Amino acid sequence: MADMLNVAVSGLRAFQRALETTSHNIANVSTPGYSRQTVNLATQTPQTFGSTTLGTGVVVSNISRFSNDLLVTQSQRASSSLNRLSAYAEKAGSLNNLFADSSTGMSASLQRFTNALQGVANTPSSTSARQVLLSEAEGLVQRLQTYDARLDEIESEVNQQLSGEASAINGITGNIAKLNREIVTAQSQSGQAPGDLLDARDQQMAALASRLDTTVVKVGDGSINVFVGNGQALVLGGTSATLVAKPDALLPTRVSLAFQSPGITVDVTSQLSGGSVGGLLDFRREMLDPVRNQLGQMAVALSAVTNAQHREGVDLAGNLGGDLFKVGAVEVLPAVGNSPTGTITATRTAAGASTAYDYVMRYNGSAWTMQRADSGAPVSFSGTGTSLDPIVADGISMVMGGTPATGDRFLVRPMAAAIKGMDVVISDPAKVAAAAPIRTAAAVANTGSATISAGEVLDVSNAQLRSSVTLQFIDATHYSVNGVGSNVYAPGDNIDINGWRVQVSGTTAVGDSFTVANNASGTGDNRNALSMATLMSTGVLSGGAESLNQAVTRFIGAVGVATNQANSSRDAQQVIYDDSQAAVDGVSGVNLDEEAANMLRYQQAYQAAAQMISVTQALFDSLLQATRR
Amino acid sequence: MINRLSTAGTHSTAIREILKQQLQLSKTQTQVGSGSRIQSPADDPIATTRILAMEQNRASLEQYGKNADLLANRLSIGEQALADAGVLLQNVREHAIQANSGALTDADRRTIALDIRARAQELLDIANRRDGNGEYLFAGFSTQTQPFLRTGAGVTYAGDQGARMLQIGSDQRIADGFSGADVFQRITEGNGTFTTATGTHAGAGSIDSGHVTNSAAWVPGNYTLNFTTASTWEVRDAGAVLVASGNYTAGSSIGFRGVEVVVSGDPAAGDSFTMAPATKKDVFAALDALATSLEAPGTTAGGRSLITSGVNAGLTQVDQALNHLLDTRAVVGARLNAVDNAASSRQQLDDELADSVGALRDVDYAAAISRMNQQLTGLQAAQAAYSKISQLSLFNYL
Repeated sequence: MADMLNVAVSGLRAFQRALETTSHNIANVSTPGYSRQTVNLATQTPQTFGSTTLGTGVVVSNISRFSNDLLVTQSQRASSSLNRLSAYAEKAGSLNNLFADSSTGMSASLQRFTNALQGVANTPSSTSARQVLLSEAEGLVQRLQTYDARLDEIESEVNQQLSGEASAINGITGNIAKLNREIVTAQSQSGQAPGDLLDARDQQMAALASRLDTTVVKVGDGSINVFVGNGQALVLGGTSATLVAKPDALLPTRVSLAFQSPGITVDVTSQLSGGSVGGLLDFRREMLDPVRNQLGQMAVALSAVTNAQHREGVDLAGNLGGDLFKVGAVEVLPAVGNSPTGTITATRTAAGASTAYDYVMRYNGSAWTMQRADSGAPVSFSGTGTSLDPIVADGISMVMGGTPATGDRFLVRPMAAAIKGMDVVISDPAKVAAAAPIRTAAAVANTGSATISAGEVLDVSNAQLRSSVTLQFIDATHYSVNGVGSNVYAPGDNIDINGWRVQVSGTTAVGDSFTVANNASGTGDNRNALSMATLMSTGVLSGGAESLNQAVTRFIGAVGVATNQANSSRDAQQVIYDDSQAAVDGVSGVNLDEEAANMLRYQQAYQAAAQMISVTQALFDSLLQATRR
Repeated sequence: MINRLSTAGTHSTAIREILKQQLQLSKTQTQVGSGSRIQSPADDPIATTRILAMEQNRASLEQYGKNADLLANRLSIGEQALADAGVLLQNVREHAIQANSGALTDADRRTIALDIRARAQELLDIANRRDGNGEYLFAGFSTQTQPFLRTGAGVTYAGDQGARMLQIGSDQRIADGFSGADVFQRITEGNGTFTTATGTHAGAGSIDSGHVTNSAAWVPGNYTLNFTTASTWEVRDAGAVLVASGNYTAGSSIGFRGVEVVVSGDPAAGDSFTMAPATKKDVFAALDALATSLEAPGTTAGGRSLITSGVNAGLTQVDQALNHLLDTRAVVGARLNAVDNAASSRQQLDDELADSVGALRDVDYAAAISRMNQQLTGLQAAQAAYSKISQLSLFNYL
């Protein structure tokens, strides 16, 4: 009878636990990361009476947690990828929006500048047309500088986000270390890790995975060790490392991530990947830097070709044109810790050879090596770095000065600072060189029908460029130059003298003369303005294969493609992540209907057990009744 | 596969689907609202680059259109000046024909000469005409320099021979005017091959401008036509070598080396005429020469013959100038024609570009609205399904 009561009580106790667990499940139906728990029941050790064995009731063997480590790991990996792509796509979207407006964008600014050149070509003597040109040139510079400023903002947003991520990661790894300690204690006490602590640690791991790719190693005592990159430990048992955001050694305006332990910081930026941190770093390397450099490249090319043509013209006062634009110089940044005596002076060479990369120069004690800053790929160069034999590669020329120390590094950014230093040099509209420096004429008295071309400038630096030259025909096939010599005349052939080129074509007669002279008072001449107006559609980039107009269009398209790809990769990864999360939820998530059924089941069992106590009571009463006298 | 659903998962999946549909709907709504399929380059990078290139092209076309309007305007102003000059020269020509009549007195001819000189001054004013910007029409590149100046020696040209080209198509440039040298100076002299002039003139013989009968036989050079007697002539070249000779009949032609001249009247023995290769002559010099020849006294037979020869030469030169102006105006006409043609091809290209840009960028409203309705239905269905399914719970039946 006492056994029966004990059995019933064991049932009551077990189903109370079961109901409590169900209640816990129901209460946590919306708790993120919660894994549903279940009470595992077992029969109590039976009692043996001779040949018979009698059951002694039920016991709660343990409360287990539904969790599949494999699925959880998969979900964390998917989350890492998703967050990398989300961070990347979000930043790419900022860049993309920068170039979205086609009516005020770079392409339109360039076109307005070209049209203003046509305006000057239409009325070269008009000060207002020249003023419009200068305003449009300034507008173009401002447009580029607006972009550049926005790129700086995006860079500093990335810096801030990376700093934020670093402190968030420190918080998370601190939590993981703390949970490790609690789990180890709990497991050593009860032999079983409490599900809720494991859930909390999984939750922290998921938060970490959303920020960074990590490698996790489980230890027998229930704790986990977390590593990044080449085995840098983020969490070792109950301790966690400190990740700090600090200015980059080569580029102080940029944030790097480093492990900090007392007395030493190790830059791990290049080892970090995945998660939102990886996404930000990838965006910075794959989009932000190339976009900045390509913009700079276009500004440099625009300035170079416009200036070259402008210098071939003459202004309203008859003086040879100067530069129209100036751009910022090549940026050379010594690494923190360099010997203070080493320097690099870098200049740009041909615009056609330029690239959109940054470079790292490293001194090994006897020679320099050059590599790309983004990929680390070695770059071959010519020259030794002396002023007579400068190091030349990829459109830059470098003279190494002072005495560098072994291990000194320099970051060379050919294009990055070009737009910051960009400006319109000319402010006086009269200084716009719309005219050509020379003009040609056929003597009115010529009896032949030959004509002379308008002439073009080959070498504007020729001191005799604007000296008068008379070509006089000695006979129909020979001419003298300023009365000297006898040159064979072939109609249409180039005649190159004093840095200019003309062609005489047609039938000449003895005594016919043609003159090439200074274009004095040529206020109505628009030849140089017309030449400048065609520059934007002339191949000057990529070794002469691409015009500025094409480059701008391709550039905007490339930003669009990269953003588009980032968005679709993110959307695809979102599906993968959702699936992996659904798989985790399928195993671990609470289902209220299931819990309702369980509740009913356990409630009924509890009630039945309670009834058993009542029956035991009745039996006991009947026994008492029967034995009462 | 998943064989169990969690309650929270069911809810979040349903909400996620609803949010996704809302995003798509909002995208369609933006497209319909803005009328543009592409809000940023990422929406369709390929189309974006093509649109940018085509918009650049269209902006160029617009600029070429402005250039062409300016060009047509300038050509018309120039054409007007040329027309005015033509009227003037026509007037001079009539005066010259009138002056050739033998009935006029010296005083009459002087009046005509005065009139011709006044016309020459008017012509000079036309040659120095400016456009609306204050720029000289016929100065070449030196648009701020007065091109024609009268000096003691005649009219000199201070401009240059530059021709300003305006761009009216991606590969089409047309000059917006003519240099003064081309219009007023580079005028064929005489009959274009040689000129005639009167040398010794005791008799009443006058010479016309001559003409070429066989250009292959013509040897350029200076020739002298001498009347050895009143009825015989000879032609000698610059080296005094006899080229041809014959008997003179008044009004009949004298031919040598592929050319013919006609001497009229009665030349005296010893009278001579000269012939020289033609070069170019400016129109002001021609008018001055004509006026000067009319101012000479016609009191002697020789004097009158000199006047007749001078008027003949002057008329020829005025005709050459008129022809030259007509030729120049024909060039203007051809240029204006080219401007018109360029305008229509620009318009056509612009229409095509606008169509292509529209096709790439503009929303197909019919498709977009029907897509929006579809998305609306989908969203409503998702919402309805969610509100129904979320109410299901076993707890409701306990």
